[in-house]
Amino acid sequence: MSAPPDSPLSAWVLLRVFLRSLFLQASWNPKGMQNLGLAYALFPALERLYPAGPAREEAVRRHLVFFNTHPYVAAAIVGGVVNHELRISRGEESPDKVVAFKAALMGPLAALGDGFFWLSLKPAVGAVSAALVPLLGVWAVPVFLVLYNLVHVLLRVRLYWLGLTLGDRLVEAVARANLPARGARLRTVAAACAGGLAAWLAVNFGANAGGAHAPLLAAGCLALGVASYVLVSRRVPNYVVLYLVAGLACAAGAFL
Amino acid sequence: MSVVWTQVALAGLWGGFVALERKAFLQAMLSRPLVASTVMGALLNDVPSGLAVGLLLELFFLGTANLGAALPENDTLAATGTSAAAATLTAATGAGSTPAIWSLAVLLFIGLGRVGRRGDRLLEGYTARLARVALSSAEAGNLTRAMRQNLWGMWPHFVLYGALTSLCALAGYFVEPLLEALPPAVVRGLAWAWPAMASVAAAIAAQGSHARRAPLYAALGAAAVTVAVVFVLLQEHR
Repeated sequence: MSAPPDSPLSAWVLLRVFLRSLFLQASWNPKGMQNLGLAYALFPALERLYPAGPAREEAVRRHLVFFNTHPYVAAAIVGGVVNHELRISRGEESPDKVVAFKAALMGPLAALGDGFFWLSLKPAVGAVSAALVPLLGVWAVPVFLVLYNLVHVLLRVRLYWLGLTLGDRLVEAVARANLPARGARLRTVAAACAGGLAAWLAVNFGANAGGAHAPLLAAGCLALGVASYVLVSRRVPNYVVLYLVAGLACAAGAFL
Repeated sequence: MSVVWTQVALAGLWGGFVALERKAFLQAMLSRPLVASTVMGALLNDVPSGLAVGLLLELFFLGTANLGAALPENDTLAATGTSAAAATLTAATGAGSTPAIWSLAVLLFIGLGRVGRRGDRLLEGYTARLARVALSSAEAGNLTRAMRQNLWGMWPHFVLYGALTSLCALAGYFVEPLLEALPPAVVRGLAWAWPAMASVAAAIAAQGSHARRAPLYAALGAAAVTVAVVFVLLQEHR
């Protein structure tokens, strides 16, 4: 990681800001949400950009106001804020600009990050890795971590760098990544893998436990899966469905 | 029954660490049920229990997400607590890990997800106080103290969830007599319950995948796997 040209911020300071941004939610609180984490991440840069005294105190205070976005995509905002603070410290723009930059980006980037990482990548990698457990056993766990973090860490570093170098123009670069369309494909993968795993567990269960009843048990287990899907879709709590199925299976195991 | 205290302590340390990783630091998914449970199993010398519990809970909690200020169920606490209890229960029986043990542990400890959500809500009061201290410190010009408040937000998570996980590990030893007292038919029923619950958890996962046409894709996946498994089984029987 090298510093932008003419920057008083060394590569080490920029790296420290990035590493401290990993603690963005360490003190997540209902009022300011990620405000403490953001100020904490930015502090090494603000220390270099402003002399000790009122200027530095004011810079810290403007980042202790409400802030909330997706924790990974926040890297882009952290980079963008450093870019703005650099210009503010040189007198090239007013402090209002950085406040407006954060306010304008945190909502849309939160929606983008939630949609891609929490609602697409995480379920997809989780479902793929779970589906790999029958084939790979315990090795499905490192597969999970590698698959997920390859995307997570690379995007986090890239977004930080985009914010740092492009400032306001990072929006266009993020839009080019086309994350919503990729997310939709990942959700499809998650659904297919989960369905496949449900069938594998049901058929394998029938084969292992059933003896003469094998096809009946496997079909029964599959039917329970379909019924569970419908019940959960109709807002029956997941726990109720799980305990109901456990009760039925226990009864079947005890009496068949 | 003899409690192995090093196992109880190890369970607490791992439970506390992944509780931090879940939200406060990094979020590299070490705290996901599949990972957290399997590592817990490895730490407590019972990888099969950790993997089996982790697989089921990963699917059960696949659709949960921490969106905005909403607090989802604490899938990490459910995973570490359940796998720790399953591992110590296995150790207490002196025999190998079995589906009946996994089922019993899941049925007894899966509710920890809700306990964890209450814990998360409780700890928000503490972080709100830290935020107030940080703001007043910044107003007073003490910036170093203001910044330090961010890191103070982590220790209660480590202590609370580490302690709860340790308690679950300890509880595993005390559940063993209950398992021993169960009639063999019920133990057989519990053994059958594990694949049934896992299969249903996978169906819940398909519903929680947020895919636009999830039923279609899940059905296609299920059909493909069913045909493949039945084909393999028929080949084996020839």
